[in-house]
Amino acid sequence: MPQVTIEYMIMVPVMIMQIFLFPIAASVIMNTWVDSRMTIELQETAGHLGSSIQQLYYTMNHASIASGSLTVELDTPPLIEGHYYNITLQNATNANTSIKIMNVTLSLAGTNDKTSTLVTLGENADWQNNVIFLSNSTTSIIATKSSGSICLYFGGDT
Amino acid sequence: MNATIDHMVSLIVFIGAILLFIGLFSQTIQTAVVYESHKALSTKTSDLLDTILLNPGIPGDWGKTDVRPAGLGLQDPEFTQYQMSSFSLMRLDSSTGNLVEYDKTGSYYSNLSLGFGASLLMPKAQELNYSTALTLLGINNTYGFQLTLTPTITVSINEKQASSPLNLSIRAIGTGFPFAYATINYCLIQVTLPSSDADYPSYTIQNGVTTTDWQGTADNITFSSVTDPSQSYSFIAYAHLDGIVGVGYHTRVSTTDQYVVPIVQSMSSQNVSLAHNYDLNNSGPEGSSLKYNATFVISTEDYTLSELSLGNSSSLVGTVTSGVGNPSPTIPLPECTTGILIVTYQESSTQGGVVLMPWGVSSLAFPVTFGGNPVGQVWVATDIRQVTIGGIAYQAKLALWSTSGYQVNG
Repeated sequence: MPQVTIEYMIMVPVMIMQIFLFPIAASVIMNTWVDSRMTIELQETAGHLGSSIQQLYYTMNHASIASGSLTVELDTPPLIEGHYYNITLQNATNANTSIKIMNVTLSLAGTNDKTSTLVTLGENADWQNNVIFLSNSTTSIIATKSSGSICLYFGGDT
Repeated sequence: MNATIDHMVSLIVFIGAILLFIGLFSQTIQTAVVYESHKALSTKTSDLLDTILLNPGIPGDWGKTDVRPAGLGLQDPEFTQYQMSSFSLMRLDSSTGNLVEYDKTGSYYSNLSLGFGASLLMPKAQELNYSTALTLLGINNTYGFQLTLTPTITVSINEKQASSPLNLSIRAIGTGFPFAYATINYCLIQVTLPSSDADYPSYTIQNGVTTTDWQGTADNITFSSVTDPSQSYSFIAYAHLDGIVGVGYHTRVSTTDQYVVPIVQSMSSQNVSLAHNYDLNNSGPEGSSLKYNATFVISTEDYTLSELSLGNSSSLVGTVTSGVGNPSPTIPLPECTTGILIVTYQESSTQGGVVLMPWGVSSLAFPVTFGGNPVGQVWVATDIRQVTIGGIAYQAKLALWSTSGYQVNG
């Protein structure tokens, strides 16, 4: 009689619990993977976005371009693991320098993932400070040069 | 009892299977995360290399000044695309070469010498160092990098016969291939040492053209005017084919005990001091003198050397004497033109030589290495671009690594 109790009262529930352990363990590991992947991809996107802005600025800043507008199509993903992300351009300029430093911040919607990268620009750079752009409606970066000043902003679907 | 044992065995096997599954799955996931990190590092490398190479920096002419740039970029401000500034590259604090102290100024200089006969000494205090570059690029505490610019074409010159006639051979090779059937324009700078104390050493230039064979070699380049095996000379060769240009040089002097070393003092004033080698690292006695004659030449479109006037400076010829109390002559170089400073020197009626200093690294195809050391880093991503510096073909390579290990932090 005690043997039956051990078999059916203890062992069977434990066995049944094991059945659930597999998917739970798989789910936890996959979530970890997705979180890591999202973080890395967000960082990669921020870095690439920063470099694209910097290269566009320097192209427009060349002495051979007096005025005009230049558009660069973004090759960054509109969604990361199904989430859009907010892009915010902030002024991080140090008071001791004459140059302007842009802080490009990306925050993934619906998560706590957030990353930023610094972009060094010249003193004639200008942008909309603290305006939030959504990644799923942002397809390009536009630089407009007039009167020596270069204005940078994001463009959407046309 | 048997059933209980069965259940316990099953449970143990089951738990073992779960642990094995978690272990293997975690390992696979970890590998994937590391792969993603490496992919992100590769993207960053490409972005960073383009950022460095496709902008002239802030201010755009920082390479021709002594100021610390506010933004790092190496593009020639007068051109577009992958055309680098020969002067901005001079201002990078080289990772290679030894520091040299010039006794007369008490200052330290980066020595970019490539063997005897050609050197470039830049003032350490005015150079852009690695840590500043990291800050300017916005990657301080996140990434480390090393930027190398190496001539695409290596032109080497060998002396087959020392005199009567001087016989030279040239070999031009690219990155793993011979520079076959390339045209080579060369010039021999032959030094003349006067016997009179009142005269200064001078030189004559002989130009010529030849072609490399299928192995990238050009043999039997002879100069009958060189009859003395101790005759001092410099030989510069330009190998070019379909717009790809490489430079090589070779120098022979009759004395290496005493010689003149040009030292760049200021990029903004373009002043170059002529130092006696005894005054470098306090390596010799005071009071030793050398007569010298300095000229500046530029490479023309047909790859011949043409002398460029340096004005009426009284210091173009004279005497340089070792010792802190003896003033060093200063040569003013042109502001915007790359070229070669040729200094012939004379110790006695039979002892003398010639030294070259490139004004702009590309004039003598000096390589540049700037940044940290990638050796020992966990993972290093590299990317390359083909660029031109002053018309000379170079390969720019950026090695980038994360300073926080595998995980890449933006």
